[in-house]
Amino acid sequence: MNANINCSDERLDHLITLLKHFAITLRQYGIITLATFMITVIFLCSCSKFVEVEAPKTSINQENVFSNDATATAILTGIYIKMSGRNLSSIGGISTIPFVTGLSGDELILYNNVNNPIYIAYYQNSLTTSNVGAQDYWNELYKTIYTCNSAIEGLDKATSISPIVKKQLLGESKFIRALNFFYLLNLYGDLPITRTTDYSINGTLNRSPKSQVYELIIQDLLDALNLLTDNYVDNSLVNPTSERVRPNVWAAKALLARVYLYNKNYVEAENMASQVINNTALYHLNALNEIFLKNSAEAIWQLQPVNNDFNTEDARFFIIPQTGLSDQWPVYLSQQLLSSFETGDRRKTQWLGFFVDTTITPHKTYYYPFKYKVSERYEPVTEYATVLRLGEQYLIRAEARAQLGKLTEAADDLYSIRERAGLGKVIPSSQLAMLEAILHERQVELFTEWGHRWLDLKRFKKVDEVMTIVTPLKGGVWSTNWQLYPIPEADMRFNPNIIQNPGY
Amino acid sequence: MFIYLQRCPILLRFLVVLFFLHTVFIASVKATQAGEEKVTIVAKNVPLRDVFKSITKQTGYHLFYSPEVVNVLERVSLEVKQQPVDDVLQSLLGNKNLTWVYNEDAIAIRVKEKSPDEKKRIDRIEDDSITNPLPQTVTGKVTDANGNAIPGATVMVKGTREGATADAEGKFTLHNVKNRSVLVISSIGYEARELTVKGKSILAQLNMDVQALDETVVIAYGTTSQRLSTGNIATVKAEEIERQPVNNPLLALQGRVPGLFIQQSTGLPGTAVRVQVQGQNSILNGNDPLYVIDGVPYSSQSLPNLGAILAPPNGQSAIVGNNPLGFINPADIESITVLKDADATSIYGSRAANGAILITTKKGKAGDTRVSINMQKGWGKVPRKLDLLNRDQYLEMRHEALRNDSKTISPTDYDLNGTWDTLRSTDWQKELIGKAAAYFDVQASVSGGNDNTQYLIGSGFHRETTVFPGDFSDQKGSVHFNINNKSKNQKFKVQLSGSYLIDNNHLPNQDLTSYAVQLAPVAPKLYLPDGTLNWQTDGNGKATWENPLRYTLTKYHNKTTNLTSNGMLSYTIIPGLDISTSMGYTNMQSSDKQLTGMNYYRPEDRPFNIPIGVYGSYNINSWIVEPQINLKRQFGPGRIDALLGSTIQQTNSNSQQLIGGGFANDLLLEDIKSASILIVSSTLDQIYKYNALFGRLNYNLFDKYIVNLAARRDGSSRFGPENRFHNFYSVAGAWIFSKENFLKNNVSFLSFGKVRASYGTTGSDQIQDYRYINLYNKVNSDLAYLGGTGLEPASLYNPYLQWEETRKLQLGLDIGLLGDRILLNTNYIRNRSSNQLLDYPLPGTTGFNGIARNLPATVENSAWEFTVNTVNTKSRNLTWSMNFNITLPKNKLHAFPNIEQTSYASSYIVGEPITFINRFHFLGVDKTTGLYIFENRKGDQTSSPSKPDDQIVRINTSPKFYGGLQNSFTYKRFNLTFLLQFVKQRAQDIDFGISLPGAFFSLGNQPITVVKRWKQVNDNSNIQRYNSDYSRNTPYFNAVDSDMGYGDASFIRLKNLSLSYQLAETLSRQIRLNNLRIYAQAQNILTFTNYKGLDPETRSSLTLPSLRVFTVGFQANL
Repeated sequence: MNANINCSDERLDHLITLLKHFAITLRQYGIITLATFMITVIFLCSCSKFVEVEAPKTSINQENVFSNDATATAILTGIYIKMSGRNLSSIGGISTIPFVTGLSGDELILYNNVNNPIYIAYYQNSLTTSNVGAQDYWNELYKTIYTCNSAIEGLDKATSISPIVKKQLLGESKFIRALNFFYLLNLYGDLPITRTTDYSINGTLNRSPKSQVYELIIQDLLDALNLLTDNYVDNSLVNPTSERVRPNVWAAKALLARVYLYNKNYVEAENMASQVINNTALYHLNALNEIFLKNSAEAIWQLQPVNNDFNTEDARFFIIPQTGLSDQWPVYLSQQLLSSFETGDRRKTQWLGFFVDTTITPHKTYYYPFKYKVSERYEPVTEYATVLRLGEQYLIRAEARAQLGKLTEAADDLYSIRERAGLGKVIPSSQLAMLEAILHERQVELFTEWGHRWLDLKRFKKVDEVMTIVTPLKGGVWSTNWQLYPIPEADMRFNPNIIQNPGY
Repeated sequence: MFIYLQRCPILLRFLVVLFFLHTVFIASVKATQAGEEKVTIVAKNVPLRDVFKSITKQTGYHLFYSPEVVNVLERVSLEVKQQPVDDVLQSLLGNKNLTWVYNEDAIAIRVKEKSPDEKKRIDRIEDDSITNPLPQTVTGKVTDANGNAIPGATVMVKGTREGATADAEGKFTLHNVKNRSVLVISSIGYEARELTVKGKSILAQLNMDVQALDETVVIAYGTTSQRLSTGNIATVKAEEIERQPVNNPLLALQGRVPGLFIQQSTGLPGTAVRVQVQGQNSILNGNDPLYVIDGVPYSSQSLPNLGAILAPPNGQSAIVGNNPLGFINPADIESITVLKDADATSIYGSRAANGAILITTKKGKAGDTRVSINMQKGWGKVPRKLDLLNRDQYLEMRHEALRNDSKTISPTDYDLNGTWDTLRSTDWQKELIGKAAAYFDVQASVSGGNDNTQYLIGSGFHRETTVFPGDFSDQKGSVHFNINNKSKNQKFKVQLSGSYLIDNNHLPNQDLTSYAVQLAPVAPKLYLPDGTLNWQTDGNGKATWENPLRYTLTKYHNKTTNLTSNGMLSYTIIPGLDISTSMGYTNMQSSDKQLTGMNYYRPEDRPFNIPIGVYGSYNINSWIVEPQINLKRQFGPGRIDALLGSTIQQTNSNSQQLIGGGFANDLLLEDIKSASILIVSSTLDQIYKYNALFGRLNYNLFDKYIVNLAARRDGSSRFGPENRFHNFYSVAGAWIFSKENFLKNNVSFLSFGKVRASYGTTGSDQIQDYRYINLYNKVNSDLAYLGGTGLEPASLYNPYLQWEETRKLQLGLDIGLLGDRILLNTNYIRNRSSNQLLDYPLPGTTGFNGIARNLPATVENSAWEFTVNTVNTKSRNLTWSMNFNITLPKNKLHAFPNIEQTSYASSYIVGEPITFINRFHFLGVDKTTGLYIFENRKGDQTSSPSKPDDQIVRINTSPKFYGGLQNSFTYKRFNLTFLLQFVKQRAQDIDFGISLPGAFFSLGNQPITVVKRWKQVNDNSNIQRYNSDYSRNTPYFNAVDSDMGYGDASFIRLKNLSLSYQLAETLSRQIRLNNLRIYAQAQNILTFTNYKGLDPETRSSLTLPSLRVFTVGFQANL
């Protein structure tokens, strides 16, 4: 029974000798020998080649993935596709952050006939560890980080990928990793820093303090600055294109400006934002209704739509159809946001849409974000989901300058944004007032975009002040603990080193 | 005795057979020497037994043989006129290596030991009956066919109370016996016989009785009997399977086999069935047993299908998760054997850690062409309704909930604000799941053949509809065939069997049960007057509810074809040494369509949706070749049975799914080519290879001491190159102690006694293919991104994966009492699974939920299994037999070194069952707030406990004990059989409501239990305040997830009842049928339980429970 498992050459020789021997004896002993012989052969063949299989044709294994430019590129493309294709209603993907942070904060109202418990938990700031909603971002974003790590590891080892492609892909991987860590950090607080694909390391990490996570984010973005191309490239990663849908060095700088700002490194924040703003060959501020068009001059990084017959998922999700709100169109804009628009603000007319419910008396008007306007099927694709745009850079620089005491320059930057909204210049009376004005400007400029409002409330330490009023209106009870989402139950259960956020 | 069996009409032929059976014709032939008696026999293709009977009638000789030596069912043809009986026997048995010995009035047939010509003849004892008419003392000896004494045999003088018991040498003495009186000689395990006293000394030989203990039992690569087996084996036969109107043969095993726990997941035809043999061995992964059909392994995993893989529109969960055994026609099955311990399973090596279920299909039998037909028709209904709030209670709940939350009736409270008619009251359970499902089944078969070739062709049709409104059904058509042939010299044998089944399943896309129990009583009408679905739209044209019948408009069609086939070639090289090869091929193909037309969508959603068809096709084919050598011979004083074999197996699975859109209208959905957009949404292509070498050695000494050794070396492609191979073995022994003289002589009530023990290893490779390779899959998207596609890592990979190993210890005691009328089987089992192969759950920071890996955990399953079979009454008119089995399982995590370092630290505790789940400890409802409160880990009260820390109570969800009790009564031509199934267990119940009580989202009705809710401060209640806006959802969910959310889900179920009547032959012949039997059968008739949900078996209230099915039918031969 110890079996001849390995079919080595030696054994083959052995077999041939055996064969000859049997041929001779066969004549002498006839059928019995024949049978014995046959069976011997069968058993000799019972070797490992019978249980060797090739990788399935429908998947690619790691060696192959990083052996040529196209498949290596596809790893990062896969991330963009998932970002772009994600329906906003299916919480978890990084691109659904506008919806969910809008629910948690003071931007969105959940239609009262919607009973999705996850929506309600985010909305009423009543997430719990057992709430499935709690794990959404954590798991999805860490998965993307894993993909980046696996790409970085694979690219480091790759030998047959062209150097330009390798450089760009490494840059994109680090950029995406930084972006995901940035959002994780701001949604959950201190984080386990995963920089490998080794689950035994990734699954047992402690939560590193915020500052260390920021160090990694900044390092990744600095690396990306050196790796990414200056211009926009197509799928070959070499040829330039007008499509702004793969991150380039300016995307890294724009994100870095934001990260420096959040990190209170105002000098660098101003510097980075200036670099982007000064690249007037590529970027300039657009008119309000042109910002979110595809390849607009204000766009620093956009996502190309990948869902059939539709433009952006933002438009599809936020724009309330003629039949009104329902579980598929569950949110509308809050009174807090609506009332924060100054008189004459063109954004109020151009970026807000409304739906009037005539079934009730008096009729009720629901406002929705109308930055992206094409929600119908079969319309030609004119809009791209915009992840990073120049407008934010002006606001970053304004804030950085205000913090650095350069109030006039800050006011100028602010005016760049206000001007196109038809508003006048803010005269800075004090640094504090200037910062207040910038926070307000960010609210009306960046609403329902990439969670800016929720993050700003926390950053400006306004979250308790605002939410103490807002949460009860939504049917919940506010506690300062709720500004961080809970670490998922699975992580608490399966990683003994993780400590839960306070209050959960 | 003349028997003429010639070509004639079937009916006539039958008459002849009857004539043969019933006619008594004794030819008084006196011969001078034993064996010289002349006989006349004309027989064509009749069992050898009948020829023997004829010989007995003509000569007075009784023929004795042991069943291992002579197959009396073998068909023979013979035409002799006035030939010496010895010559006849020579022609019948001469070529079988047998010899026979003449005694006074008996011929004993046994295996030829020395030269073939040696015929020992004993002169007859002189018949002095005429010369000595006075009572006298008679001495005698009782032996078996081989001449071995049968101690303890009873000898009674018929019609008197006189009798004697045979001593250790089988001898007995009777005084004052009149000549010509008749003696009745009986012994346990032997057929009783009557003997007329003709002299002073008597030699009585008894034939072994072929009974329960000696029936052939199918095991891995062979057969054995309950008497001689060393393993823990249970068999369920065709007659028991046929008695039950089920669509999956596994369901026919429920409650019948100790150690086997079977759970139906829903009452819909073709849905999943959970099977567990001797508990849960693996912490997480595959606990499926190995299924083997006629020697060919059969997939335990169903084909993927749209229902399971793609979520239908709106993220509704799908209902079809079929079980591959559902594609086997229960009527084609001859027997199902469940192998449990290492002795019976280790020869299956890596695949049988969770036991093996062997299915043997029906085979052709020699004899006249036999056409039989079995037809039944019946009805299935949901056996139980939930007690729900009525309209007034519902409205009261809703109003109170709004008051509690200080809310007024809002524009979206359609159930209160006048949008819905609050005077309506609908029993949705009646409306949506109240229909009777039709059940129809017809089976026909033809079989026959001669000595060398037998055949069977069977065909069946089965149709079941659903309890849902609308035209849905599951329809199966099948063909089964079997051909056996052996060469004239009996050396070369061929066997070929195959089954082909086509299943056509048309189901709605959603189980409507959840709507039936949750829709508000005041919910609107289903249809508008024009016959279209009523969406009860508001002024904007928006639907105010989700009409459940929308799911009946999205059709789900699944068509599966299943071919299982196997062939066996064997050649006897020298007597006792066979070489053989079995080959098998199975192919399961299924294609399904999920068609969503525009009328599925709510009116307001239609502009954003298009008719979509999803089309899947799946294919699994598997082939296997198993060459074997088998040696059976006398070896020293005992018998040796050795087997050596090898397995080469490969399974290919592939599938693809397409999504079609852009159809001009709904009617074109059926045809994929009408789609203007077509996307391939997924493809799958996998290969699994498996290779093994195995052997078994069985040594049987005097049928008293039996040793069985088995070993296997296995290789599987699911593991990395380093760990592909593994060895498995088992050692087993049995001691039939009742054969020992000291017991035989002294304990007469003990007819059979055996102790068994086995120990061995089996394994499991039940993980997904390719888990050891780092794979990347395509990211699905409708459009390319910048012209490029995307890839993403498929899962975490582990190149060091290894086999999981289960060590099984089993001790058994089998006792037969009072002539085996009472049979007791006791088993103690202790299985330990180590090197657990599992999807190790990981924190999200690893990027995935888990990884396939081995862990040093050892899970122990121990159990006591008891079976009692009794024949309570056996008389000419009435037979009452009973079968009782009970299993007391125990599960624990035996060892888990460094558990605190793993992600299982909070889930499992060493020494405690792995089926424990952690739950909050429920304290009741806070008298002031009206909210549920719980005890946290510090012992304080809280209404917001946190997971997992505050889950301080552990609840065991696996059954405490389970079993069944079957009674069968046969009175004259009636038979009544019923089976009670019982399970003691705990499961999640619905005391706290099905969803948050008081809230509304077109659904919202609740079980009646919620009316005892907290209403005001200081109320003492276990149900929290009604709540309309989900702000109290979290305490509600916590309560459901607390220890109080779990209740007693034990049940006793009258699982099966069958009543049949066999028509008298004279009567049935008048209508030109033979063996006409009419019957009524019922399944899931009554359930006694404290469980408040719909079905304690499915443990759910939102899925369709197991239906109560009644059928009536008949069975007849043409």
